[in-house]
Amino acid sequence: MRRKTSIRGELRLLRHGRDWRGRSTVPRSAEPHVVEPEERVFPTAWARTPFAVAARSVLRKGLLKPVAWKQITPVIEGSEYLDGVRGPVVFVANHSSHLDTPLILGSLPERFANRVAVGAASDYFFDVRWRATLTAVFFNAFPVERYGSKRLRSLALDLVDDGWSLLLYPEGTRSEDGWMNPFKLGAAVLCVTKGIPCVPIAIRGSYAAMPRGRNWPQPGKPRVTVRYGRPLIPEEGEEVRAFRARMAKAVAALAAEEDLGWYDALRAAADDRLEIPGGSQPTRPGAVRDENATGEKPADWRRVWASTEPLTGRRRRVWRD
Amino acid sequence: MSRPGFVLDVDERTPPLIMHQGESFRLERLPLGSKVIYPPDSLPGIRDVDAEIRHALLHPHGTEPLPELLRSGMRLTIVFDDLSLPLPQMQTPDVRQRIIEQVLEMAAAKGVDDVELIAANALHRRMTPAELRRTVGDRVFHAFFPEHLKNHDAEDHDNLLHMGKTRHGEDVEINRRAAESDLIVYVNITLTAMSGGAKSVSVGLASYRSLKHHHNVHTLRHSNSFNDPPNSAMHHSYERMKGLIDEHVKVFTIETTLNNDTFPSSMGFLNKREWEWNVRDQASYLAVKRANEMLPQKTRRRIWQSTAAPYGVTGVHAGLQSEVHPLTLQNVHRQQLTEVNGQSDIAIWGLPYICPYNVNSVMNPILVMSLGLGYFFNLYKNRPIVRQGGVAIFYHPVPNEFHPVHHPSYIDFFEEILTESTDPVLLETKYEEQFATDPWYIQLYRNSYAYHGVHPFYMWYWGAHAMQHLGDVIFVGGNRKTTTRMGFRAASTLADALEMAKDTVGSSPSISYQHAPPLALADVR
Repeated sequence: MRRKTSIRGELRLLRHGRDWRGRSTVPRSAEPHVVEPEERVFPTAWARTPFAVAARSVLRKGLLKPVAWKQITPVIEGSEYLDGVRGPVVFVANHSSHLDTPLILGSLPERFANRVAVGAASDYFFDVRWRATLTAVFFNAFPVERYGSKRLRSLALDLVDDGWSLLLYPEGTRSEDGWMNPFKLGAAVLCVTKGIPCVPIAIRGSYAAMPRGRNWPQPGKPRVTVRYGRPLIPEEGEEVRAFRARMAKAVAALAAEEDLGWYDALRAAADDRLEIPGGSQPTRPGAVRDENATGEKPADWRRVWASTEPLTGRRRRVWRD
Repeated sequence: MSRPGFVLDVDERTPPLIMHQGESFRLERLPLGSKVIYPPDSLPGIRDVDAEIRHALLHPHGTEPLPELLRSGMRLTIVFDDLSLPLPQMQTPDVRQRIIEQVLEMAAAKGVDDVELIAANALHRRMTPAELRRTVGDRVFHAFFPEHLKNHDAEDHDNLLHMGKTRHGEDVEINRRAAESDLIVYVNITLTAMSGGAKSVSVGLASYRSLKHHHNVHTLRHSNSFNDPPNSAMHHSYERMKGLIDEHVKVFTIETTLNNDTFPSSMGFLNKREWEWNVRDQASYLAVKRANEMLPQKTRRRIWQSTAAPYGVTGVHAGLQSEVHPLTLQNVHRQQLTEVNGQSDIAIWGLPYICPYNVNSVMNPILVMSLGLGYFFNLYKNRPIVRQGGVAIFYHPVPNEFHPVHHPSYIDFFEEILTESTDPVLLETKYEEQFATDPWYIQLYRNSYAYHGVHPFYMWYWGAHAMQHLGDVIFVGGNRKTTTRMGFRAASTLADALEMAKDTVGSSPSISYQHAPPLALADVR
């Protein structure tokens, strides 16, 4: 019953799944077990040396700020609240664009700008060496583990101990549509455990100016506002979650100031009429709660539409004619 | 360190896999999702085997060093495993030769004159002078053959000694010379977990009267498997007999284990995992396969039979059998054991050209059955790799050919007995005695080179457990006449075989292929 197979058939069988050098792919179950090397944290200590600080100052003033300020129309408000503040502090801001960090660093008073470290996503900014280096040089960034998968020990505590202020985006990532997502606990934990002030910042218009997916601002020098609020100081025995709520409310009030004006925004915050990030739905920055709202998530396009509405700078009139 | 064994999941990245098919081999594409059981990579052999042997003889387990057991005027019998081990035969010098030479050197130094060497062939055919010479080496052969280097004769009743019965009523009858010696030195090669240990003396030197107590359907059906001695009724019987033998005679056991280097470098691809084949391996696969197909059958068989394995020795242990054998088994497991998760509906085995009973001979259909349903099916611990009622698919042409000198009783068994029934129990009760006591078969066994008349029955019993366990047995490429005669089925391709298996295991069965070469012992959890 021995049947001779044709040489061609034999060759075809032999060549099956092999490349031109005759090498076969390795079946998945036969791949050698590779022990994942322990995640090496990109070292950033060098970016906080005096020389690096000086170099960064030059870069910021000579390159980053002039370029940014040339492309957009920044409006900075409330930086005077920082006058009496002594570091270290934690700056928290809503986050919807890569413009946010240059805007904040460019608008911070010099004494803070040179002593602030920016929390940057380790999986995004620190994945390859060149990006990690540039991020560290320009922004004094340090890696933050967003998803808790690799259990990196956060540098934040050490930095605060060393007197560095931090700029953190408690939403954890840039917004998809310009709306604000719930704040994560990290920044609040840091403030409460270290007993340091938190400076809320609201940025409006950066999404319209340079949303996700763009790497250069929209033409036409769009208006972007950066508002600093009064520092929030954790009270004795204040719960982390309560402090986080306070933080979110402060940012929401600052964002609302763009539409409502300073006093009305304060009133709306006091009357609890502001939409505060924290629920299951994203909230529009500066939105006032609508009693008739259905509670359903608005369609994607409507969110993007609302976020890309140009800021006019026109203030609602407080005093009637 | 060698890589451990593992179970491969066949995926789209898996190249066609090699399997034996009698005196040939082939590549086969298994269905996606099939599991393939690979043994650990071949272990490195011991570099200085002679030194290792010497060390073992001088530092034995559980007894005095060998020289202290030797004295002038004693009766020394050296017994060694016959040519059923190892498979294929190992390149010379055989490890048995190395050991026997050292034992004899020590005996000579102690002034031992009465030395006898016996091949422990039980009911196997006698080894020819050439085969004996190959096993023990020229020096030993010339010094002892033919007066003092002999095959065991299980039908020479004057030279058998009935030692008594075990507590289970089993007769223990072994070679008289060995039984009446002051010391038996047993030289063993343990290729699979079945061999060695208590089996050596109690089986190798026994007679039919003694062997029938464990080589029977009942015992073999309760040996699950016979490669897992603690779960093997057959081994329990060996142990009881060994206990009785130990009361009469001192046995100094030397056990060796081999690695998985089964084929010479010209056929190195047979020892490698398929996705690691380089261009040279592929070229030699193609060349060897084509040449093999073109050769006349006789030449092909001669070449296969003369292939000698470049085995490396992985362990030499000497001393009291009960203390030595666990160490030997450890070594065997180190080389062959692979953990397997669960049973499957279908098991596939490629059967090679050789089994313990066709060295320098012909693999007849009965031997194919015993190799497949006996040896390969039983290469497991705990549970068979195929579930109860599952299907076994073997690759072998099962040609209808017999060696008239070596296997005369097999021819009658195949032509006259199997036509009547394939039920092992029926054959055992009705015909075993007749074949075992047939004077012509006995004559051929004693004076020619024939296997004992009862041997084909034993081969049939060897598969009794598998026949009871399996729902269907299919031979891919098998001769229809021979497979049908034995109660099995033949298919021309794997696809056909799987189609035929549908009736038994449904249309989406789980499949395991126990990869051979080389040998793997599946530890099924």
